[in-house]
Amino acid sequence: MVSAAPAQALAPILRARAISKRFGNVIALQDVDFEAYAGDIVALIGDNGAGKSTLIKIISGAILPDSGTLAMRGSPVYFHNPRDARDAGIETAYQDLALAPDLDIPANLFLAREIVRPGLLGRLDFFDRRAMRERAEEHLRDFGIKVGSMEQRVDTLSGGQRQSIAVARTVFWGSALIIMDEPTAALGVAQSALVLDLMRKVRDAGTAVVFISHNLPQVFEAADRIAVMRHGRRVGTLDPRTATMDQAVSLMTGATTLESVSQPRSSQQNRGGNIPPS
Amino acid sequence: MRFGLVGIIAVLVIVFSATASGFLTLQNLDNNARQMAVVGILAVGETFVIITAGIDLSVGSLLGFGGIIIALGLAHNLPAGLAVVIVLAVSVVIGLVNGALISSAALPPFIVTLGMLGILRGLTQIFGNGQQVGYDAASFSNFASNTTLGIPNLFWILVLVCAASAVFLHLTRRGRYMYAIGSNVESARRAGINVNATLLTVYAISALLAGIAGVLLTARQAQGDPNAGTGYELDAIAAAVLGGASLFGARGSIIGTFLGVLLVQIMTNGLNLLNFDPQVARMLEGALLILFVYIDHLRKLRVAAAW
Repeated sequence: MVSAAPAQALAPILRARAISKRFGNVIALQDVDFEAYAGDIVALIGDNGAGKSTLIKIISGAILPDSGTLAMRGSPVYFHNPRDARDAGIETAYQDLALAPDLDIPANLFLAREIVRPGLLGRLDFFDRRAMRERAEEHLRDFGIKVGSMEQRVDTLSGGQRQSIAVARTVFWGSALIIMDEPTAALGVAQSALVLDLMRKVRDAGTAVVFISHNLPQVFEAADRIAVMRHGRRVGTLDPRTATMDQAVSLMTGATTLESVSQPRSSQQNRGGNIPPS
Repeated sequence: MRFGLVGIIAVLVIVFSATASGFLTLQNLDNNARQMAVVGILAVGETFVIITAGIDLSVGSLLGFGGIIIALGLAHNLPAGLAVVIVLAVSVVIGLVNGALISSAALPPFIVTLGMLGILRGLTQIFGNGQQVGYDAASFSNFASNTTLGIPNLFWILVLVCAASAVFLHLTRRGRYMYAIGSNVESARRAGINVNATLLTVYAISALLAGIAGVLLTARQAQGDPNAGTGYELDAIAAAVLGGASLFGARGSIIGTFLGVLLVQIMTNGLNLLNFDPQVARMLEGALLILFVYIDHLRKLRVAAAW
């Protein structure tokens, strides 16, 4: 089996074991194992209805599994709501952004988690605009996100910049694990490259990243491991350095079983991707 | 806020000072300050609501309702302080009902507050028996006619309401959450903002300010009038929108709303002094409203085209 656990992490940050979930008669997940490692991008792929979203919602506390366990750094965790997961250092960047377009960049990065002023003013709920702006600037600089003025409303940014802000917010608060649900779905090539690049920087900073995408070239470009799901089951793990996109597609569609995929791919094929920014 | 608004107001002041005798007199300034207070306070409350992409059509009726209650209370020899507290408490409860129906029951603000407009106006007419309610409490009505440091008390109240509201809305987290909700309610919810609690607060504030306006108007007129405040909700909304608030939410400021109220007040007063038909000022206000929103619309299109 091609299971490429990253060398730099011994134990997973998050391990989901034997997760099952049904909605009425529909089995959304059946005995799914999933793990995310620090400093590792794991892509989660599968056709529509394969169970990716359900799995992600369980990991981010949005829904509860019928059975199965979650553990972080080896200790069992129970997420009853998104707040619990967030408190454990898990952040999710949603497909449809989830920014407040009329607010400026620091306001969005700190939305619902504003820094308050020290002392009495803070107790009176006054936020500290300058502290937030400075920390936001610092954070965006660290990840090489260029946005011009921090005071601009988010809806004046380009699509790629906005997605970068959404991802940056996720990264800012996701100390352990960030989940990116189709972060490039609405973006052009150059802007997608920006987001993938950001994702790699986050990975390099030691955070675990779960990357959900339908875009196989991007998955092969960015991911360190590829977890494949089909009909609510985890059907395999691919190493993007050795597997091909055809193999991924046949696993997703059930055209092949795991055994036939584990052949190393021919040497003339490049590691999927390296799409140059246009 | 709108920078253009300051310019328009300045031009109006200059033109009226030059053409309308009696415009730039202390007496007239005093009048203006008193006249704008009631609608001004309503408009501040409306600004909170509009920023969350809501609307509160009940404030004019609530003003009338509060005004009748306090007049009845005073007529029955209730101490003025107690009567005021009762009116404000009742107002907040009504605002919480609006807020609960809008947030928890997820009904449209337009419908909820339109219904409340009807309910409250009906109640007001019944309570007042369809007639003015006189009362005999000079100390209460004097408050509205007196000045402090040379400035009418009514205007002081407006200034205090504006200052407190501006600080709350622009400098505190709860104020910012109102903008966030108006900007994108789902994003706000996902970020962890308590949307329902924020909306309850917003409609309670709007109602509280309507109650205050009702108390002040009843003091100013030295009687309760069951028709008081009819249509004021539209004046308040117009002032907020003139001041830069957008009915789509997340835009607007207290200083902008104040300037919007000031603009309408000065225009009405100046044209009145120049012996124009009072309806001319109404028509101009309506035309300005449409013009301002159109300018905003064009500006937004430019932003969209820049993507």
